[in-house]
Amino acid sequence: MRRKRLIVVALAIAAAALTVAATASGGGGGSRTSGPSGVVGGAKMIGSGGGFGEIYKAPASTLTHALFHANLLPSNKTARDIALASLGRSTKKVNYALALSCWKNNGCSTGTGGKLTVAYVEGFGENTFRQMSKMEFILEALTYPQIGKIIYRSAHSDLNQAIADFKSVIAQHVNAIVTYPDFGDAMIPVFQEATKAGIPVSTYAWGYVTGPGKNYTTVVGEDTCKLGKAFANVMNTKVKSGNIAFLGGFPGNPLSAGWQTCEQKALNPNINVVANDPTNWDPSKVQGIVAGILAKTPNLAGLSYEDALFMSQGGYTAYKAANIPYQGVFTYRTDEAGMGCLADKLKDPKLQIYYFSAGNPQIRLALTADMMKLAGAKIPPTIVFPIQLQQQTKRDMCLKGYPGTASGTSLIPLSLLHQMYP
Amino acid sequence: MAAASPPPRRLRGSAGASGASLVATAAVAARFLPVWFATAALFVVASVVAPHALGNTSWSFVLPDATVLAVAALGQMLVVMHAGIDLSTPGVVSFGGNLIAGVGAGSDHRLAPAIFACLGLGVAVGLVNGIFVGLLRLNPLIVTLAVGQIVLAWSSKYSRDHVTNQPLVPSGLSSWATSKPLGVSTVFWTGAALTIVVALVLRYTTGGRRFQAVGANPRAAWIAGLRVRTHVVLAYAAAGALYAVAAVLLAGVRQSIDPAFGSAYLLAPIAAVVIAGAALSGGLASATSTWVAALALTFLTQMLVTMGLSAAMQYIVFGAAIVAGMVVSGDRAALLLGRWLRPVTPPPQAAA
Repeated sequence: MRRKRLIVVALAIAAAALTVAATASGGGGGSRTSGPSGVVGGAKMIGSGGGFGEIYKAPASTLTHALFHANLLPSNKTARDIALASLGRSTKKVNYALALSCWKNNGCSTGTGGKLTVAYVEGFGENTFRQMSKMEFILEALTYPQIGKIIYRSAHSDLNQAIADFKSVIAQHVNAIVTYPDFGDAMIPVFQEATKAGIPVSTYAWGYVTGPGKNYTTVVGEDTCKLGKAFANVMNTKVKSGNIAFLGGFPGNPLSAGWQTCEQKALNPNINVVANDPTNWDPSKVQGIVAGILAKTPNLAGLSYEDALFMSQGGYTAYKAANIPYQGVFTYRTDEAGMGCLADKLKDPKLQIYYFSAGNPQIRLALTADMMKLAGAKIPPTIVFPIQLQQQTKRDMCLKGYPGTASGTSLIPLSLLHQMYP
Repeated sequence: MAAASPPPRRLRGSAGASGASLVATAAVAARFLPVWFATAALFVVASVVAPHALGNTSWSFVLPDATVLAVAALGQMLVVMHAGIDLSTPGVVSFGGNLIAGVGAGSDHRLAPAIFACLGLGVAVGLVNGIFVGLLRLNPLIVTLAVGQIVLAWSSKYSRDHVTNQPLVPSGLSSWATSKPLGVSTVFWTGAALTIVVALVLRYTTGGRRFQAVGANPRAAWIAGLRVRTHVVLAYAAAGALYAVAAVLLAGVRQSIDPAFGSAYLLAPIAAVVIAGAALSGGLASATSTWVAALALTFLTQMLVTMGLSAAMQYIVFGAAIVAGMVVSGDRAALLLGRWLRPVTPPPQAAA
């Protein structure tokens, strides 16, 4: 028996040593030290004027990088000024080592001695899109010397935790909150509480909650109804007739509901939507759901979804497992490099991909809107970007040097991105 | 005058030694057979309401996915046999998958170390759980949940540092997992073989019988000289190893690791074990019935997607099916049979 105990202990030590050694050696690549190399302002500047602590100007090259075209700005003048101010700030030099540390540690003191505290609070933060948005928020916050502290919270898909996180930052007397409301209108009470306490709350990526301008400051994003209509236009012209499917995120989230409702209405009568399933933005679920859809409709002509990357992972795996060619018309809201690289690898002319921007930089506008509100500006209840879909064959999502999970329209400098994901 | 000796007690429905043997077999079968009948009924229902769910395309997803759940459920089964519960499964599967991608770094030459790292992690976490539960006698529900959270946090950090930029598993693993000998997924064959091995070890080896005896009645086992605590520790360690195997299989099936990898394996393995007929209070369990329960759960989920039901209806139907499954579960069947078979004491005879 004593020998058996010794064997158990030896086994435990060996297992632990093996695991620790593996984690220490796995993946390779330490952090890279490199200077800032983000999108640098070009010679041509768009915009003019300023106010409320902002300059309403941004380099045309920055706008093109983030929006596909420099003229794809909101039509409302104040919203446009906020966009120019915010995106213009992205070219300011900031301490990237501090930004990286802040990102890894979910918050930090900026070291400027500024008196303001800003918080980014979200219901779910555990995918690359959210983590990149978090870095965009941090980079934007670091351009404000008056911001002395940055706080980050993720509720890990737990509504009660999300509400508790919000109440926590309110209790800490933060000066501004940016959020993505994964639980939709369930967040209204805490939004109202923050607004009543004088804390501006803004959302991004069309995180629409009832009462923008009243319950909270503003929502930044694209017009999801127009996004859905743009998807429908692609399906009507490219699919013409046949079966397509919709995939969405968490059940009832405003982003998915927005574009799906409008796409459904705009489709021509010969196109049938055979499935509309939530995926919780989880690629594992995507595989199961796509497998189920293909089981019933193996000749699926098209699919609309927010997330290009998850389809390139879970969705593509489902097609492969079912021995069905990965062909059809796909419309996506995001532009991760991984989907573009997969399309380049497959080189299949029957695979047609149309995409919009993931919109990571939209979070910068949300923070700038909050800061301008603190400075006394009147912020429009919505800051809406126009829609223009891109075609993969004409604008390749597979950008050299970009991690597969990263969006090519992000304003995070490539060198910093490589340090985030070595 | 000496008091008359009490009349012999008899089992209701028994008929001597052969009858007792039949009764014992019936009692065991009553516990573990219902899930087989329920699964067959599910396929019959599917053939009517969702025939596409029985097609090759559906099976190409269902079989590997069900096998991964079954392997994780086998680990849970070992713990449940000792009246325990293990909520660290998602943590082990998540971190295990991340190790496959991170240590493997996309290279087949590093696949073996990646798999060993994953297995090592599973055993290490299992041993920690086993020590807390078996030796320190801590509550398994709380302690395994806590350990699982720590492992998940570690996994999240490791994923961010090593996997996000290279989430693909080595191609050797994904090729192996997607191959189909005799037209059926390799993952299925691997899981089936593992299930049979576990069943045979538990039933036909001395160690396996001891394991079952300790779970069925720890006090009697202790009196008989068996090391109860050591068996509990080994149960959690073996469970951890099986979760790690599930992680390897899942990594091969998914081909890439995402931040939510493993999140679906918190309650599903427990549900499979209970629906298969095991009692959460400990005792006997059936590896093959556990496998069938995992298949039923996975097939049901897929069937509802294939039917095109809305998300809300899918949740409602799934929940109702689980409740129905529990109503006719083997555990309840065994309880009812036990009541029917309980000794009947005839009324005392009047003294002469």
